[in-house]
Amino acid sequence: MAHAGADRPIPPGSAPRRMSSGMRLLLGNEFGLAVLILLTAATFALTLDGFTSPFSVYTIGRQIGIDTMIGLAMMAVIVTGGLDLSVGAIGVCSAMLFGWLMQVMGVPVLVAVPLAVLFGASLGFVNGFTVVMSGVHSFIITLASMSIFFGVMIFLTKAAAFNGLPPQVQAFGKMRVLPGISPLLLITVAVCAALVVFYRYSTLGRQMLAAGANARAAELSGIRTGRVIVACHMLTGLLAAIAGLMVTARTGAAVPSMAGQLGQDWLLPAFLAPVLGGTLLSGGRVSVIGTLLGATFINIMTSGLLLMRVGEFWILAFLGMMLLIAVLADRTRQIFLTSRGMI
Amino acid sequence: MTALQVSHVSKSFPGVRALHDVSMTMTAGSVHALLGENGAGKSTLIKIVTGIYKPDSGTVSMNGATVRFANPRQAAAGGLGVVHQERNLVTRFSVGENILLDRLGNRALSLVDYASLHREAEKWLKLLDLDVDPRTIVSRLSVAQMQLVEIGKALSLQSRVLLLDEPTASLTPNESTVLFRILRRLRDDGVAIGFVSHKLEEVFDICDRVTVLRDGRNACDSADLSQLDRGDVVQMMIGRAERITTRAPRPRTDAAPYLELRGYGSGAGHRDINLTVRPGEIVGLYGLVGAGRSELARAILGLSKQIAGEVRVLGRAVRITSVAQALHDHGIGYVSEDRKAEGLILMHSVLANGGITIWRKLANALGLLRDTTIAARVGPVLKRLELKTPSVHQIIGNLSGGNQQKVSVAKWLAAGVRLLIIDEPSVGIDIKTKAYLHDLIHELAEQGTAILLITSDMPEMIDVADRILVMDSYRIKGEVENDRSYDPVSRAIMGLIHERAAA
Repeated sequence: MAHAGADRPIPPGSAPRRMSSGMRLLLGNEFGLAVLILLTAATFALTLDGFTSPFSVYTIGRQIGIDTMIGLAMMAVIVTGGLDLSVGAIGVCSAMLFGWLMQVMGVPVLVAVPLAVLFGASLGFVNGFTVVMSGVHSFIITLASMSIFFGVMIFLTKAAAFNGLPPQVQAFGKMRVLPGISPLLLITVAVCAALVVFYRYSTLGRQMLAAGANARAAELSGIRTGRVIVACHMLTGLLAAIAGLMVTARTGAAVPSMAGQLGQDWLLPAFLAPVLGGTLLSGGRVSVIGTLLGATFINIMTSGLLLMRVGEFWILAFLGMMLLIAVLADRTRQIFLTSRGMI
Repeated sequence: MTALQVSHVSKSFPGVRALHDVSMTMTAGSVHALLGENGAGKSTLIKIVTGIYKPDSGTVSMNGATVRFANPRQAAAGGLGVVHQERNLVTRFSVGENILLDRLGNRALSLVDYASLHREAEKWLKLLDLDVDPRTIVSRLSVAQMQLVEIGKALSLQSRVLLLDEPTASLTPNESTVLFRILRRLRDDGVAIGFVSHKLEEVFDICDRVTVLRDGRNACDSADLSQLDRGDVVQMMIGRAERITTRAPRPRTDAAPYLELRGYGSGAGHRDINLTVRPGEIVGLYGLVGAGRSELARAILGLSKQIAGEVRVLGRAVRITSVAQALHDHGIGYVSEDRKAEGLILMHSVLANGGITIWRKLANALGLLRDTTIAARVGPVLKRLELKTPSVHQIIGNLSGGNQQKVSVAKWLAAGVRLLIIDEPSVGIDIKTKAYLHDLIHELAEQGTAILLITSDMPEMIDVADRILVMDSYRIKGEVENDRSYDPVSRAIMGLIHERAAA
């Protein structure tokens, strides 16, 4: 879809037409999502008792923070046109290391946090390095590494949780900075801001987008695409680790099953948030804000449905449907834009 | 007899009028050239004829009856075959399967009768003088053979009208000659052939009628080509007379070599390569497709391993292992022949493409950089190249081929490379931009840039290069001093290539 429109007739001497920024905004996922969020939130607020209660708002916000972080982790590798099935495993492994460092080794929280995050990045490095060296698609590599990371973690921890974490960890997870706002959500907003700057203004971020859009062209333009792709996987690992620590703070313990078997429970939000947000699955384009909005939308929907006493499994099926619809909507928009020569 | 008639067709896209009252009449037993610069509307016209686009007004008729094809499949069934510029073969299938791809079996589950399929395919291959087994896998064929397979595929549908979109773009002169012989025979058999090309020599060689489009309008409608000369056609295409392109030979430079290969061998298969490019010199590298020229460029950039000899940059022996190193440490840039796949990132903006080579250089200590910083460096280069774009933030895929090519050159100029390897600079761009690029190459050389020019376009080579190295089978066969006299120089070049056959 990237090359279509290249041969569009453009009268010589006159400038090709350009989509106005307003048009771009309207056609972007962000705008549609924001409208959807407002509509659903308003509907639920008016019809459902307890949807706007301080507790509800607080927990929804906190979960948006966590899901966004998971989505950003996946987004960082979708940039390359690849994916990382091991985000959940990396998140849990980092969380378990975090718990072990504090509970068994007595490492202070503020030291354990960066160590666990770096550990996540190093697991990402393992993924990226293997993908680049082998040339095998990241799907297979991370399917394997997901099982390896998770299996080794279960072996080392004997599947036991770390329950005796320093009290600050849980306190942080239950803290309210402003009325109804969790610090976890603020961390996510800060990370979003950092990533927006990263993809827009940093050399590495731009190189990631270039390598993701067209690796050969990027390589021939003097970008070391191998290194850049490894960096993408490391960023994924780092963000997944942060998400793991956020979940640890929320539950007050590092639990091997916190992301389900093999960390699979994270996969749905991991893909749903960025794809809803307009990140291109084929790589080369990201939307950080879209990912935040995507996670917001799914959490508002989920919470509303839960309040309506819709069963958990129906919600899962609903989220699966959302993913399908998001992907189809993405394709439709692509075709529409391509036919009008806008991409 | 009129085989295909386009009458007063207009087509608009949002914000742009692609075709305005365009007519064309193709007769059976005639080769009809469809000419125009990039963006003149040729592709749109072909797409309307084949049913990809619907015309806003006007009609298309075949053999006197108005047709309204809903898609290319219907057009093919109606006897209108098209061979597109890009290959549309399933490369892992056999030649026979490709030729009869849409008639493999009657029903989804019916078995393919390979014996009769290959017999049928063989008939078409024979017609095209293509001496390959229909069981051959397409990926093993040369580009020229694939081209002929596509033509065979179009003919096998009993096409009486055959449209060829730049069929010679990826062919060598010899292969083109073979193609033309076949086209002449098809013409004599009564097929109406439409021929789109940027190479006017070919057009005058094979076509008898011509329709020229300019800015989406007829500059001429099905004129008799024998009544026109090259100048007339060019004038119709660009709206003014062609600039005289014969340049005086440039004085030889004796500056110390910028790049020197001695006894160089690469993992790609190059052997005993001796090559010197001096600052301010334009060295041409001529050869047929498959001679190993682009591969040599890539090897110099570090994309294949150096296995023998030495590489010297400014007299110092170096070992280049990546494009990044070639660019940042040795000031070497490469304009790829495949602009869309390797030269540009089509989904990104003009600015992102133009600045990609200098991000590293422009970033501050934190690795951050701003668009304005990049624009300050890239903007002047784009301006110098007279790039036509509404804004540097325009997605580059929206620009015309010529403008895209300007950006793929601009990114290296912005990086200030000292040696620029330019691979097929004028593939798929219009005459105006081509002449402009030739001027630019000369200007860069005047300013001391060393240029290594790879091209299969003989007139281009003779017009631009100072001296020409001839390559064949991954070796340098010899060197020809270029005094810009077309016949002796091209004869000397072809002589060097054909030495192989004599030896």
